[in-house]
Amino acid sequence: MADTLNAITICGSLRKGSYNAALARTLPALSPAGLVIKAGPPIDAIPIYNADVQNSSGFPAAVSALADAIRAADGLIIVSPEYNYSIPGGLKNAIDWVSRLQNQPFANKPIALQSATGGPLGGARVQYHLRQSMVFLDGLVFNRPEIFVGVAQQKFDEKTLELKDQATIDIIKQQLAGFEKFIRRVSGKN
Amino acid sequence: MAGTLNVVVICGSLRRRSYNAALARSLPAFAPAGTKLAAGPPIDVIPHYNADMQNSTGFPTSVNAFADAIRAADGVVIVSPEYNWSIPGVLKNAIDWVSRMKDQPFANKPVALQSCATGPLGGSRMQYHLRQSLTSIDALLFGRPEVLVTFAPQKFDEKTLVLMDAPTIDIVKQQLVAFEAFIRRVGAGR
Repeated sequence: MADTLNAITICGSLRKGSYNAALARTLPALSPAGLVIKAGPPIDAIPIYNADVQNSSGFPAAVSALADAIRAADGLIIVSPEYNYSIPGGLKNAIDWVSRLQNQPFANKPIALQSATGGPLGGARVQYHLRQSMVFLDGLVFNRPEIFVGVAQQKFDEKTLELKDQATIDIIKQQLAGFEKFIRRVSGKN
Repeated sequence: MAGTLNVVVICGSLRRRSYNAALARSLPAFAPAGTKLAAGPPIDVIPHYNADMQNSTGFPTSVNAFADAIRAADGVVIVSPEYNWSIPGVLKNAIDWVSRMKDQPFANKPVALQSCATGPLGGSRMQYHLRQSLTSIDALLFGRPEVLVTFAPQKFDEKTLVLMDAPTIDIVKQQLVAFEAFIRRVGAGR
């Protein structure tokens, strides 16, 4: 039996009742036996990016913590809402900080994307913008199946925010199983 | 739409010696007689977007100041670097906050884009992501000429950061003249 892989989730929403945060919380239970998924460090503690701050006082502790967690993980799962047809500013700000580090955490890192939205497109536009940014950072972005949870309010329990839509659960399981294989293939961790 | 037009300039970089900030500072001198350009409120004081914060304590003062400046202006010029082939998180975060407001500041607002980059593409990937994002809040995006300042270190004075490159100055002037005509045409009903 191969070694267990470790993946972390980063969530692009800070809202407590967020469907994306709820989705991220469900992943550990839906992952295959060989892939352990945990929540990554919070991104809301990361200050607004300013190159002058980086040059005068270095990288903030919150940025180093996020970068270390990404480096230590075998894979990264970004679960994010779509804000204004693109990436939430808070998430992009975290990526912008991490992008300036040597020993680049995203480089050659297997990355899977998931998104939930109230509308029918399920966050496709945030995901394709993230894919473009990750090309620059040389991340290894997993392709299919893609997880676009459209009309999210019908797929989570209204009170507990538990994911209850079977078709969505099935495709997430498929993605996580595919992602585990992808990580083993591209990192040579058989 | 007669009379002098007031246009607010928003810069996506916080760095003091930013080429984009230098470009933004140069715009008032290049504007046609009928357009007055002024720097908008700072965006680095805007906190990370969190819907829970919006719902509990309302919009932060810095967001209201930013929104009011956009509402009061006849047009907006966004001058921004490209971070990781997309919009800087800090700028996107400001847009995300403002996007949640009633009496939407960007709706039907004429917006022109400019960017500087050290590479050959001049920030085009950032600009096309902004175009997609601002579609969501119904901004009226100015088309051509586009201002994409490539190889920026060759076009600004190394010490003073004054824009020196004549073809760049010409295209910036052309854009501002055309943007004034655009505002007078599409903003006529305001």
